[in-house]
Amino acid sequence: MRTVPLSTEQAPPISVPLRFFISTPLFLMLAALALVPVSDNPFTNIHSLALLAATHSITLGFMAMAMLGAMQQILPVVIASPMPASGIISWLTFLPMISGTALLTTGFMLGKPIFLELAWPLLGLAFITFIGSSLFSLVRSPSSNATKTSILLSILALTGTIALGMLLAHAYATGLLLPYEKLAKSHINLSLGGWVLLLVIGVSYQVVPMFQLTPHYPKWLSFSLAPAIFIVLVVNLISLLLEFRPYWVVISLQFTFWLLASSFAVVTLNLQSRRRRRIADATLSFFRLGMISLLCAGITALANVFVPAFDHFDTLSAALFILGFAMSIIIGMLYKIVPFLVWFHLFRGGIKRGVPNMKEIIPEHWMWRHFWLHCCTLLAVLIAPWWDVAAWLVSLGLLLQGMLLGSGLYTAMSVYRITLRCLEES
Amino acid sequence: MCASKTQEIDVRGLPPPEPFELIINALQTLPVGECLHVHIHREPYPLYEVLLDGGFLWHTTKIEDNNFLIRICYS
Repeated sequence: MRTVPLSTEQAPPISVPLRFFISTPLFLMLAALALVPVSDNPFTNIHSLALLAATHSITLGFMAMAMLGAMQQILPVVIASPMPASGIISWLTFLPMISGTALLTTGFMLGKPIFLELAWPLLGLAFITFIGSSLFSLVRSPSSNATKTSILLSILALTGTIALGMLLAHAYATGLLLPYEKLAKSHINLSLGGWVLLLVIGVSYQVVPMFQLTPHYPKWLSFSLAPAIFIVLVVNLISLLLEFRPYWVVISLQFTFWLLASSFAVVTLNLQSRRRRRIADATLSFFRLGMISLLCAGITALANVFVPAFDHFDTLSAALFILGFAMSIIIGMLYKIVPFLVWFHLFRGGIKRGVPNMKEIIPEHWMWRHFWLHCCTLLAVLIAPWWDVAAWLVSLGLLLQGMLLGSGLYTAMSVYRITLRCLEES
Repeated sequence: MCASKTQEIDVRGLPPPEPFELIINALQTLPVGECLHVHIHREPYPLYEVLLDGGFLWHTTKIEDNNFLIRICYS
């Protein structure tokens, strides 16, 4: 698939995506706090409240926050259709999102249902606003390409994720009798396999060839992968809700899903190995770690189906997907996108002296430090179910990652403000 | 459209926005009356807007797939 010419003139003000991006490190630090093993090691039980709190802090506060910010940039630039009233929509999404995520995480951390009852309407408001405006933007977009299809399907998966999430949070807070296990499984499948994976796939079709100077994704993959994954997710959802789950159905669906997800990882790694410029790059390394983790998540998830007696395969698969795959890709993208946005908005409007080169905005050695710290945190997560000390290391790793990312993003913002002032004065 | 003296830069294989940065740096020091020839691996649509605003003329020739030559001169 060819990358599309970018409609840079349609880009929203820099404050729109940046307010989302700059908030993400706070939720890594909140997740670190949730995982402090006060009494028990939270990684020994996948249903522990501490793990639920940390997972939601990362998936909502870090991952979704970054993805929502990125979408406000991607929709106008890549599919040439800005969100309606982007300033208002951005605040209407951001404020309930940040408060709702903080309340949900606190509710799980403290085991206080009242916080969950306050959180779910706020998160509902944030996501309904975002979904409505994204769908409006997608429907009126004149372009038609595989990125648009993947984004549309990921938004549909997000709609299901949020509906189930709101229902689960309300039921959990009020003690409503519900089939929790199958609703939670559906919520997880749609959020990780749908919203996260499909959005990463759609964005990769543009970002990987453009920024990493690789050949384009093959057409057979880009036009069929996202719809195929979406169909598997829908069939899986129906089989879960109808309780039609003979062993062969479970195996076939799991196997097909991971085969499709792995094909994306293998093709991406192959394209990256054929890139034009073979120079080490921290953002590329984050991306590659993400793809390798996606493959490993598939192996552990299938191992969990074939050897269900082994307790921790599901924890490992979830950790590899969330921390190894999604978090790596998002950190790598943040380190690429934020300096690019700063540079782009400073340069906008003509040839000016005094605009720093993009590489000077966040120093590369900071990114490399973060990369190695992230690798160590991931390693600690993978041994945490068996070694209590590793739970402390995970908590410490996430705290330091939040601080490193926060200082990197804050540095970029300072460069923007200072340079803009200098340009206006000169 | 081009004057007799030309400068030449090759930005093929560089990730965005490095080609853009190098071209703009070269234009900032380009003596009046000279032209800049740029070898690039993709058509840089956002650059054209900046060239228009900056009062430059340009002509793009596709040499082969993923290889373009852009001749930029003062208008």
